[in-house]
Amino acid sequence: MNQTVHDELIAIRDLQISIQSEGSFFEVVKGVSLSIRTNEIVCLVGESGCGKSITALSVMGLLPADVARVTGGEILYRGQNLLGLKSRDMRRLRSDEISMIFQDPITSLDPVFTIGSLLQEVIQSHRKVSRSEAEKLAVRALEEAQLPDASKRMKSYPHELSGGMRQRVMIALATALNPSVLIADEPTTALDVTVQAQILESLRRRQRELKMGMLLITHDLAVVAAVADRVAVMYSGEIVEEASVNDLFDNPKHPYTQGLMGAIPDITARRGLLHAIPGRVPPPQVPPPGCEFAPRCSYSIGPCWEKRPALLPTSVGKLRCINPQPFSR
Amino acid sequence: MKHVIGRLGYMLIVLIVSSIAVFYAIRLSGGDATAAALPGSATEEFRQEFRASIGLDRPIYLQYFAYISKVLRGDPGRSITNNASLIEMLKKHGKNSLILGGAAFALVFLIGIPLGILASLRRNSWADHGIMSFSVIGMAIPNFWLALLAVWLFASTFQLLPAAGCCSPKQLILPAIVLAFEGIALTVRMTRSAMIENQNNDFVRTLRAGGLSEWRVTGKHVLRNALIPIISLAGLRIGQIVGYALIVEQIFSWPGIGQALVTAVLRRDYPVAQFFSLILVVLVVLGNWLADTGYTLANPRLRRSK
Repeated sequence: MNQTVHDELIAIRDLQISIQSEGSFFEVVKGVSLSIRTNEIVCLVGESGCGKSITALSVMGLLPADVARVTGGEILYRGQNLLGLKSRDMRRLRSDEISMIFQDPITSLDPVFTIGSLLQEVIQSHRKVSRSEAEKLAVRALEEAQLPDASKRMKSYPHELSGGMRQRVMIALATALNPSVLIADEPTTALDVTVQAQILESLRRRQRELKMGMLLITHDLAVVAAVADRVAVMYSGEIVEEASVNDLFDNPKHPYTQGLMGAIPDITARRGLLHAIPGRVPPPQVPPPGCEFAPRCSYSIGPCWEKRPALLPTSVGKLRCINPQPFSR
Repeated sequence: MKHVIGRLGYMLIVLIVSSIAVFYAIRLSGGDATAAALPGSATEEFRQEFRASIGLDRPIYLQYFAYISKVLRGDPGRSITNNASLIEMLKKHGKNSLILGGAAFALVFLIGIPLGILASLRRNSWADHGIMSFSVIGMAIPNFWLALLAVWLFASTFQLLPAAGCCSPKQLILPAIVLAFEGIALTVRMTRSAMIENQNNDFVRTLRAGGLSEWRVTGKHVLRNALIPIISLAGLRIGQIVGYALIVEQIFSWPGIGQALVTAVLRRDYPVAQFFSLILVVLVVLGNWLADTGYTLANPRLRRSK
């Protein structure tokens, strides 16, 4: 794969994060390495609790300090380690160069301020512009996020908008200052299915317009299929497979990825039981001795239980498995 | 707009029912009006004439309507004891009560809100525990006991402040603080919990992601959301202060409406007792109405306009 250094916007290298629960710390992100490049959509897929949201929050420096702590690794933005940054400098980057949108637009917007004033406040905290200038920029951001009646909506309160419209406001908020990186944490999960497609389309359009590097976090493979360029599959705090979207869907290598693909219901098949991956995700307090997925894996062999496999490059991406088997649908 | 009119109508109904209740309560409480107004040697016939002259011989409901129409025309009558015009009394005593009540009301928010914010920002610190303990004490102490304690401590023992009288600022300090005490304690608690609750809201995360400083996020956005329940309770605070002012005015000899009312009831001065009770009822009802309106104004989610 052709990777030149200046293409890479965000380089997460061997990131380790621990969470405090009942007095002790448990590792929930166990050495994650991932890149986000210009003009590319990377999807981070995994089930709830696998650590994808925490990873995203740590890039923005928004980890709740009393509960979570980065214990190792680095997060580089254009070569500079974000983890060592002073909070003032990190604040300058947020929204201006690295942005994030969140899952639940209903609770994610301050209910006592109009969306116009919210946008103006964020714009004015990063740019020296007058109020009316900020207002114009705000309206433009809303229009580019495809919110209908943008200038009228400036005076609306969040509760006056539907879920889809609120998410567009979030997109406008996050892209108003033309950032280079956009992290979207399950942006469509809380929306109706019909609205999901529209929002994803708006997101992708905006990404292409600004040539942003986008990290889209989701647990929904349909979303991945719809917008991803590259996919990283995450399980129990580590990346287990990485490939381009076509390669991943055509030929999933990791047993977990295969399990996810196999679990997709086939609308043409005869009715029967849905395939589920047997077992459960190991709790962070009691990690398995070797591979995290071994207890649930039908291909596991002796060495799987002894040593944690490394994430190694393959012909199409990366894989963390010492005994992969071909996938049969 | 419909909402406001609806609440006004509701308020009107409450006022009418309350005024009837006040009227009947005073009339039916027994006692003889003439005992206060006329010397003990007056004959029974004279007393009957006297009662007729102020309309006490007619059926109660007729007296009520006559009274209400007079009040609405701006003539509630005169005091039986000293024949002073009730409107004049209202102006004089009302001004004093307004000063005392206003001072107490201001203290409740000027002290309560900052203390509550401080406690919420320094959770579980010594400051937090200290402030919350003070709040519990404030809610537990009955205010007449607090008044006596304050008088004993500051006036008698340390000789710092006067124990009674009106109307210098020095004389205002003790009664205003005593009156405000419980309100301060409640406001501190409310502010603290409202701040903490809002700090954990999702929108805070969005604002931080927007690159806003912690000062802005907490001082503008969290605070504005936290003030919603506090503003809405401000109106109820009026009712509480009106109620407690009676006791405080008595103890500190502050010549407000409460004190005049107490004196009038003891002396069976019907016109004064009736009118001033009505005034207090109006104030409390107004306070509740303000609480409703204030809440709607403060919380955009309740406004029905678009």
